[in-house]
Amino acid sequence: MSVKWLRRLKIVSAPIMTKDETSRYTDLQGDGKSLMFTYPMEVKSVITRPSHGMTLQGAGLHQISGIAWSGNGTIRKVEVSTDGGKSWTEAPLVAPVLSRALTRFRLPWRWDGTAAVLKSRATDDTGAVQPEREKFIADHGNNAIFHFHGIQAWSVAANGEVKHVYA
Amino acid sequence: MSTRDLVCVALALVVGGCAGASMTPSGMESPNLGREATPGQIAGWDISVGPDGVGLPPGKGTPATGATVYEQKCQVCHGAKGAGQPNDRLVGGHGTLASKAPVRTIGSYWPYATTVFDYVRRSMPYIQPQTLSDDEVYAVTAYLLNLNGIIGENDEMNAQTLPKVKMPNQSNFIVVYPSRGK
Repeated sequence: MSVKWLRRLKIVSAPIMTKDETSRYTDLQGDGKSLMFTYPMEVKSVITRPSHGMTLQGAGLHQISGIAWSGNGTIRKVEVSTDGGKSWTEAPLVAPVLSRALTRFRLPWRWDGTAAVLKSRATDDTGAVQPEREKFIADHGNNAIFHFHGIQAWSVAANGEVKHVYA
Repeated sequence: MSTRDLVCVALALVVGGCAGASMTPSGMESPNLGREATPGQIAGWDISVGPDGVGLPPGKGTPATGATVYEQKCQVCHGAKGAGQPNDRLVGGHGTLASKAPVRTIGSYWPYATTVFDYVRRSMPYIQPQTLSDDEVYAVTAYLLNLNGIIGENDEMNAQTLPKVKMPNQSNFIVVYPSRGK
């Protein structure tokens, strides 16, 4: 958590081009160009339970849960994969589902006790679909970190340990 | 000045005074916290410099005088001749932005020279911000621009010359929002 205090407001007719708005919070693309004043976050989701550092207590029924959001509108659907993206199942959204707001999704999952890779993929009401990490990097390079919205993968080991993976 | 005072000063600039209840909605009493910012306080904070040079103060400096200031006030954090370490590298990196290991410095990345002046004046040296004179800030700015090969070693930076400096990466920024030219 990083609390910011609003100390002053100055109204200007054009950007001041301060250090942070030019050299820090700009997204350097793979081709050397940089995106500036990129305010909206594109459609994104992440599974928060289970997630890195947690341990599943044995095979059986578990609830997968996470949050999705889009700076361009309302979350229309979230799909979840437990096989690293080979197959997807739509996860019901939990009301309220509001524009530009965190949206909770849940899906019951019967874990068979073998290694698995969990992913979530959100779609917003503009039709935008959260990309795989590789697709995001192919489009934007390795340095556009401030607006990274690729799919997040968690590996589940046979002993239940959940870890961050690129998959 | 406490954080709460600063917030109240900020509010004072917007709504015309924390002490006055006249601006509060539907006649509610304000908590009467804080006090109005003085013209001197506002002037001290109102130091932003735009890319067109608006806000630049009188003064001047050259790379030669800037080298002296840099060695005394900046080098301990930014290395000899802006080479970096322990903190940000300030020089070089040209031609690396499209590579796997881009080096973003003032010279290779920053789109406007005025930003160097604005940032150094308001924030540097890190442990003693706003202790440099305007001449010293112009000089350090000139020194860093010269080290990056952007201005000549005898070029003087002042309120007229600095906004005219063309930074090499300026044309590589794409403004996403609001969309321009429509």
